[in-house]
Amino acid sequence: MAEKTDKNTVVVEKTPTVTFTLDGREVTVPKGTTILLAAQSVGIDIPTLCWHPKLTIAGSCRMCYVEIEKWPKLAISCATEAMDGMVVYTDSDLVRKGRAAVIQFTLMNHPLDCPTCDKGGECTLQDLAFAYGVDNSEFDFGKHRFGATENDTTFDDVVVGPEIVLNRNRCIRCYRCIRANKEAFGEFDLGVFERGNHTEINVAPGRRLDNPFSGNLTEVCPVGALTHLDWRYKIRVWLTDTTSSICPFYSSGSNILLYTNQQQNKIYRATSRVNDDIDDGWLSDTTRFGYQVAMSPDRLKMPLIKKDGKQVEATWEEALKLIGKRLTEITEKKGRVCIGGLVASSQDNATLFSFSKLLRKVVGSNNIDFRTDYRMLPQTSGGAYDVLCSQPFSIVGINQSDVIVTLGSDLVKEHPNEYLRIRKAVNFGAVSVYAMNPYRTKSSDVAKKELVYQAGTEEILINSICLVAIEDGLIDSSLAGNLAECISPSTAAESAELCEVNLEDIRAIARALADGRQITFFAGEIVGRSINREAIAAALCNLHRLFGLSGRCQMNILPRHANSCGAVQLGLLPAPVLATKDMLSKLWGGWPESEPQTTDRMMANMKKDEIDGYMIVGANPIMLYPDREFATDALEGLDFLMVADLFETETTALADVVLPLASWAEYSGEYVNLEGRVQKTHQALKTDYDARPGYEIAALIAQQLEQPLFENDQTRDETITKVLAVDSTLPWPDEFLEVKHVADEVDEEYPLVLFVGDDSHHSGYLTEKSNSLTNFQAEPYVEISPTLAKRLGIDDGDSVRVESPVGKIVVPVRISHHINNDVVFVPMNFSGKQVNSLIMRKSRVDRVRISKVVD
Amino acid sequence: MSFYSPVRTNAQEAAKSDSLPLFRFVEDPEQTKIDTYEAHGGYQAWRKTLTEMTPEQVVGEVKNAGLRGRGGAGFPAGVKWGFVPKGSTKPKYLICNADESEPGTCKDRVLLERDPHAVIEGMAIASYAIDCHLMFIYIRGEFGYAADVMRAAMAEAYKKGQLGKNIHGGGYDLDMIVHTGGGAYVCGEETAQTNSIEGRRGNARMKPPFPAVAGLYGCPTIVNNVETLASVPHIINRGGDWYKTLGTEKSTGSKIFSLSGHVRQPGNYELLLGHNLKDLIYSPKYGGGIIGDKKLKGVIPGGSSTPFLKPDQIDVSLDYESLASAGTMLGSGAVIVFHEETCIVWIITKLIRFYRHESCGKCTPCREGTAWLELLINRIEQGGGKPGDIEKIESICDNIMGRTVCPLGDAAVMPIKSAIAQWRDEWQYHIDHGKCLVETKCELAPGN
Amino acid sequence: MILTPESVTRIKDAAALYPQAKSAILPAITIAYRQVGHLNPDLYGEIAGILDIPAVEVAEAASFYTMFPKEPVGKYLIQVCHNISCALLGAEGLLSYLQDKLDIEVGETTSDNLFTLVRVECLGSCATAPMMQINHDYYENLSRAEVDRIIEKLTAEAQSGGTL
Repeated sequence: MAEKTDKNTVVVEKTPTVTFTLDGREVTVPKGTTILLAAQSVGIDIPTLCWHPKLTIAGSCRMCYVEIEKWPKLAISCATEAMDGMVVYTDSDLVRKGRAAVIQFTLMNHPLDCPTCDKGGECTLQDLAFAYGVDNSEFDFGKHRFGATENDTTFDDVVVGPEIVLNRNRCIRCYRCIRANKEAFGEFDLGVFERGNHTEINVAPGRRLDNPFSGNLTEVCPVGALTHLDWRYKIRVWLTDTTSSICPFYSSGSNILLYTNQQQNKIYRATSRVNDDIDDGWLSDTTRFGYQVAMSPDRLKMPLIKKDGKQVEATWEEALKLIGKRLTEITEKKGRVCIGGLVASSQDNATLFSFSKLLRKVVGSNNIDFRTDYRMLPQTSGGAYDVLCSQPFSIVGINQSDVIVTLGSDLVKEHPNEYLRIRKAVNFGAVSVYAMNPYRTKSSDVAKKELVYQAGTEEILINSICLVAIEDGLIDSSLAGNLAECISPSTAAESAELCEVNLEDIRAIARALADGRQITFFAGEIVGRSINREAIAAALCNLHRLFGLSGRCQMNILPRHANSCGAVQLGLLPAPVLATKDMLSKLWGGWPESEPQTTDRMMANMKKDEIDGYMIVGANPIMLYPDREFATDALEGLDFLMVADLFETETTALADVVLPLASWAEYSGEYVNLEGRVQKTHQALKTDYDARPGYEIAALIAQQLEQPLFENDQTRDETITKVLAVDSTLPWPDEFLEVKHVADEVDEEYPLVLFVGDDSHHSGYLTEKSNSLTNFQAEPYVEISPTLAKRLGIDDGDSVRVESPVGKIVVPVRISHHINNDVVFVPMNFSGKQVNSLIMRKSRVDRVRISKVVD
Repeated sequence: MSFYSPVRTNAQEAAKSDSLPLFRFVEDPEQTKIDTYEAHGGYQAWRKTLTEMTPEQVVGEVKNAGLRGRGGAGFPAGVKWGFVPKGSTKPKYLICNADESEPGTCKDRVLLERDPHAVIEGMAIASYAIDCHLMFIYIRGEFGYAADVMRAAMAEAYKKGQLGKNIHGGGYDLDMIVHTGGGAYVCGEETAQTNSIEGRRGNARMKPPFPAVAGLYGCPTIVNNVETLASVPHIINRGGDWYKTLGTEKSTGSKIFSLSGHVRQPGNYELLLGHNLKDLIYSPKYGGGIIGDKKLKGVIPGGSSTPFLKPDQIDVSLDYESLASAGTMLGSGAVIVFHEETCIVWIITKLIRFYRHESCGKCTPCREGTAWLELLINRIEQGGGKPGDIEKIESICDNIMGRTVCPLGDAAVMPIKSAIAQWRDEWQYHIDHGKCLVETKCELAPGN
Repeated sequence: MILTPESVTRIKDAAALYPQAKSAILPAITIAYRQVGHLNPDLYGEIAGILDIPAVEVAEAASFYTMFPKEPVGKYLIQVCHNISCALLGAEGLLSYLQDKLDIEVGETTSDNLFTLVRVECLGSCATAPMMQINHDYYENLSRAEVDRIIEKLTAEAQSGGTL
């Protein structure tokens, strides 16, 4: 396997080289390359245990010995740089003896319980012992055994977290897990304790190993010391086949392998399918354990149709006929287009495009959207927000940057891959990271400066960076133009005060933006969810222009879901960008006349009886739309609602027809990641009940309406390729945009700012169906700061009432250092509590109060 | 309550001598006070350094003196200082290594407890030589009394303007931190010591990079032994040319030898390098011979990690080269003597237990190998040795020697290999008969 | 908090000396040990809070260094060096003498909670062997008679010092 370390990924042309002799052949590599990597580059495999391509070098296992002429002792190739004229042997007698001794030492206390070890068949130590013909028969003493603990299960395993199981006796102390956890993930729930031959890896005192990347530790472990419950003792690895797939949750599209047993039609686990350009070999736990959603016994198995107010099981034929009939009836009755659709951006290209065509071409409507949880969306497109979203962005660009700025993004929860990228940039390079958030986040732990601003002041914050640059003369004064007139307040000091941030911190960011050679600047969900997203985006466009960032900055508002980019590019917006619209009109011979309506507007119009029929695919607005009452009223007011989903949800409960939707694991599909990269999933499971992919449902509905969508799958896919090829990048505005401060009203009764979003082990509404993920977190909570907890006399785990002007829920408290004193966070991933009932559609900032529930 | 070590020294001899500078005042209870130290000529070298010498001249003088590291490795101190990259804009650090922990070695403790200012002065001069403005002394945690003495001395030095800002008006700033360890022999190894000061576990780091290039906090760092640094003021005061006249050609100067074990008068003795080992053991001035007039069986000449000498090998000069020719090392200068009623296997059980206990656990050969060796050696000592065990021990030693991150692995196996080579018959007897060839008689004195 | 305000201040003062706060882990552990007599995870958490570093880093370091007991010990922790120089002069005899005298095995604490007896590796007092450390002090050139005097003195000291 051609693995590279970060030490060696960037080969600049001017780098001086060294030439040396490796097993008799001349090899030239960049100066500074280790012998191990040089050998790998020419296909010579040197065995390793502690070395890992993504981690710093430990040099502790001593497996990778090589012999170097004129050197007095064997050298470890992982840490020895190749030098001019060196003569190196990777497989001499001395080397083989040295390695055999290391294996023998390693086997001394290793249990050799390979028959019952989960790692059997994919264990590095097993392979090396085999290759070097070493056993532990020379060691005729009892093996050292770590003491049993109350958490012990079979075979000396200790359950140390919701998923992770530790077997200290199998541990060979390569310290890969520790390095991964601390360096790559920035997590401190695992440690190395004691010393000498009693050195042990263990969970930190009083902690559980439950960080959002914990599953990776089972992959970095070269032996069976760290395994996970989900996989443990269920199947031997050689009885599984692998299927390439991608993560269906996050927008970067981590590459994964699904391990299946075809006879059993069952997925056993997911591992990384290392893609250095995207995931760098790491998976978030949500990605890793999310496959269980597809395997859930709760899956919808048959269509349901409402009869006499009750949903009853039906055949596809009945269901489809009913859909066709009702859609036709509604259109005929109203005599105009009053049908809309919501197709989630977690769906594959074929599904998105098929529904787009169904609604636009067959129904003849512009009532189509992919966004469930954004309120007050603009009806038109091409504004500043769309400009930013359309900009090119590359994941590897992150760790090629010298300055990284993030705005309004709790990265670990929204963009776990990008969070790890930023960590990598910091660990292996010279990069300054600035994080701006309305509350402290764990994600900012690598930031040089974490700037916490008053919630709802994003655009003023960005203005203040611009103003300070002008005031301090950090940028060419000719660039400033009329910016000061376009924005208010018009001084940096006033703006900073409104945002409640330190002007010095603003100055630091301005300086970094002025000096940065290669900048990554992106905003996240807190901006996306804001009803002021357009103003924030305008401020960012101004900043881009003022600092002259073209050519030295990748700036974006990152999309959220696995196929958000595909949805935009395929025209799933009510008003797609012009280039896309042109292409689609050409393909479909025209464009519907109807007014484009967003999810938000459609819901408003459902109440007014202007939208009567609605098709939802893979979305749950009742649970996720930021105003539960509004969404419920809207959907209840429909004449006809069709919902296709994997499970029965609060939204399917309102439907006249519910269709069982196939999961991403059950068909092959294509998805566009946040970089615009098209990636494929492959079918890993057969649907042994009658769930169907979204594109098939669209085609079946079109058939009912007697207008076939595509000649066949091939013509569909060719068309998709054509549409995706359209360059939908929007030009930056050629003038400064107006961004004025609008004061937000604060109701003293509700003094705390509420943020909602994903839990760090969940994404959206489906992951509740993954057992492993609910083992990490099964219910909602309200995260509050220790200071606030103290003030309210609340302990961790206490039940509290969270009240807003429109709703209240009772949830347990989680005290966290990653939150401010006047902010609370509640995850939206759990259907058990109606979190969105606290939210009002038109609020800029959501506010609540909390009080202890006294029983 | 704390205690001043009652260890015997040859301070009286040193006081009369012109060539044993380290122990001159160590029996003077007032020497720990800065006034006394200054009255005895202390801090003159520091003043001279600051006012008359460039850092290059200091390095040059110490190189010229031929001063070699007294901690064990014997690397020339001046040369080491010269490894700090020129023109580096990073801070530089000096660490005085007072983590004295190698069995048999107790020499630095005398200097720390009885002449702390000499250590501080040497540290200050070395700091100046490498452009360091924050120096550390890493004192093993158990030396509570020594740390207290050192802290008091440091406070005095600050008060008297020997440390702090703009010292002696020369514009040089120098601060000092007394850092105490927590009980880990491996922290005497310079990279482990660096980790320990950084608040990490005391695991050794790989070299390169060497500490002189990237040590403490990733900055150039020099780690020198207490005795090495305490020798520096004398070199500055009297010149490298004078220092070179002491000792032998390649092993210049004086050195403290810790004499312990079965001698009548154990103690710390400052001798010129090149002194005869036999004289140290038998001279009435020093060891005074073997207790109970028993026959000498063997000597560990340089701390527990150095190979053994047999009685017919002790007529040897105590200097780096001569001991190397005799197949052993000067090491830290800890001479451990044992008599005929001592089983060699029993001795090795003590040593291997120590190294197994002190292995940091980072690299495989040391972590696993020392544990295996301990099991095998204990088995032999307890009478359960099997045929082939000796060869197995030798093979394990070979697989540790030169294969580990830091020198602890080598330190663990060198005495074992030597003990087998020198007394193989005794090992074989143990295996063949399940008991000692010579029964160990090492009893606690009744006292009175 | 287990740490007294004085200990907290001392830890903060120590941290202020170093270029990086993490360097104060070992000083902080030492201060905690001197106050409490042993170390435990609660103390690691408190130290981590004071130094603003993850608690596991304190725990990892603490477990590496063997000088600090990790369980409660008696008022007097007797650490007998059993390494080579001391062994040659009767360290094993010293241990068994103390075991008999205190009526405990190595690793145990007397029932009155006064003495805990442990073996330790070389304490750097080889030319005054055999020796032992009791709490923070060294007792050197030991003989049976000397041990008798020391134990007698400490017992008297404890009794005059009131209840434990």
